[in-house]
Amino acid sequence: MPLGTLDRTPPSFFKQGPSALSKLLFFSALALFLMVADTRFRITQPLRATLATAMYPVQWLAMQPVRAVKNAAEYLAGLDQARSDAEQAAKKLALQSLRAGQVEQLLQENSRLRKLLALREQLATSGMAAEVLYDAADPYSRKVIIDKGLLQGVDLGSPVLDESGVLGQVTRVHPQVSEVTLLIDRDLAIPVLNIRTGARSVVYGDPSGSGNGLELRFMGNNSDLQPGDLLTTSGVDGVYPPGLPVAKISRIERRAESAFAKIYCVPQALVSGARHVMVVKPVASQIPPRPEVEPVAPARPAKRGTAK
Amino acid sequence: MIMRSGHQLLLPANLLFIWGSLIAALLLNMLPLGRVPWMPDFLALVLVFWNVHQPRRVGIGLAFMFGLGMDVHQSSLLGQHALSYTALSFFATMIHRRLLWFAVPSQAVQVLPLFAIAHAVELLIRLVAGGMFPGWIALLAPLVEALLWPVASVLLLAPQRRAPDQDANRPL
Repeated sequence: MPLGTLDRTPPSFFKQGPSALSKLLFFSALALFLMVADTRFRITQPLRATLATAMYPVQWLAMQPVRAVKNAAEYLAGLDQARSDAEQAAKKLALQSLRAGQVEQLLQENSRLRKLLALREQLATSGMAAEVLYDAADPYSRKVIIDKGLLQGVDLGSPVLDESGVLGQVTRVHPQVSEVTLLIDRDLAIPVLNIRTGARSVVYGDPSGSGNGLELRFMGNNSDLQPGDLLTTSGVDGVYPPGLPVAKISRIERRAESAFAKIYCVPQALVSGARHVMVVKPVASQIPPRPEVEPVAPARPAKRGTAK
Repeated sequence: MIMRSGHQLLLPANLLFIWGSLIAALLLNMLPLGRVPWMPDFLALVLVFWNVHQPRRVGIGLAFMFGLGMDVHQSSLLGQHALSYTALSFFATMIHRRLLWFAVPSQAVQVLPLFAIAHAVELLIRLVAGGMFPGWIALLAPLVEALLWPVASVLLLAPQRRAPDQDANRPL
């Protein structure tokens, strides 16, 4: 059968629709409005969630070839790799078993002491396992997408951990997936505790964007810090449970021209390449609400002798 | 339309094929290959291609919608890709009458500024909105896209280059 050689529907002569320039102006204005709405007013979440749900099948399809290649590579890496992994895991388990055995006793002791001192019980945290679907390709931020969303009960702001430390925080929740901002994003800050000295401070993502590092800011030149110090979550923020490893100090530059030292840290979690993560409920959701403050009648100011 | 010398008369473009190629480019963009700043934007390439070759079928509105899709997928600022694709599509519409008079390699040189503008728009928006600088290697992305233009010209025009009447010597 011969194919149609020519387009049989010629373009309409007069009805050309709006001009390209007017279309450009309209859609640019719409895009600018969306950007402002996204950054300033944060009202675009329903639109985002709708689009994300609609695009989920396409995303799933795009993930399949890469996942298949990865799985095949893992399969071919084979027995040796699996054996050495198992050996390492057994070693790690042996190292941890001593501490794990003590934990029960310490927990009991701790709870008894807390009762004795009439302190509040420590908060229990519950979590759920999730898998990292992909690194968000956006080169201007550091985010990953995980496969648990609103339907599985992920809360906005939940801390996300991997097996060796804090990975980041859930910053957007869609019905099927959610978006985790990594520790090394420049917009993320996390309160930490130096477990050697007990000093509290805040770790920020590295703003230079070049390395996958963290920065400890606003620590004086004479503060007691050493390379190799472990920083854990301090638990004062109401988000992260206390005591999770966050980073290790790698380098300290004490500068004469500034009151603050420049302190570089290395995150403990696998910020590039984590595959299985844990989403923990934010601690704040378990903290009991503040007691109601009884309204107090405002005290009348004493009358001055002369009114103005 | 005036025929260019040495130019083959093409079959009409199939609307299904146009949409299929756009979706395929979206899929290519969505491949989870990690954070690679110099990764070419296949969707931008295909959008410019159809904007130049079929400006009545693929226009600014479609580019905007695909841009929104990319924004949601990359979880970047909502409207960032939409704005950049809108600009890209507008400039492609502006040059579409002129561009097809040139040979394919010269076309690639002429679309390079378009891709550069699109990437510059994104970079500017993100730096204003407080993003990280992705590094100078990101400058390679428009270059790679322009280099892919001849490949796109061969692949995407292939169905229109088929023989109108197939026979034993020309089965396709």
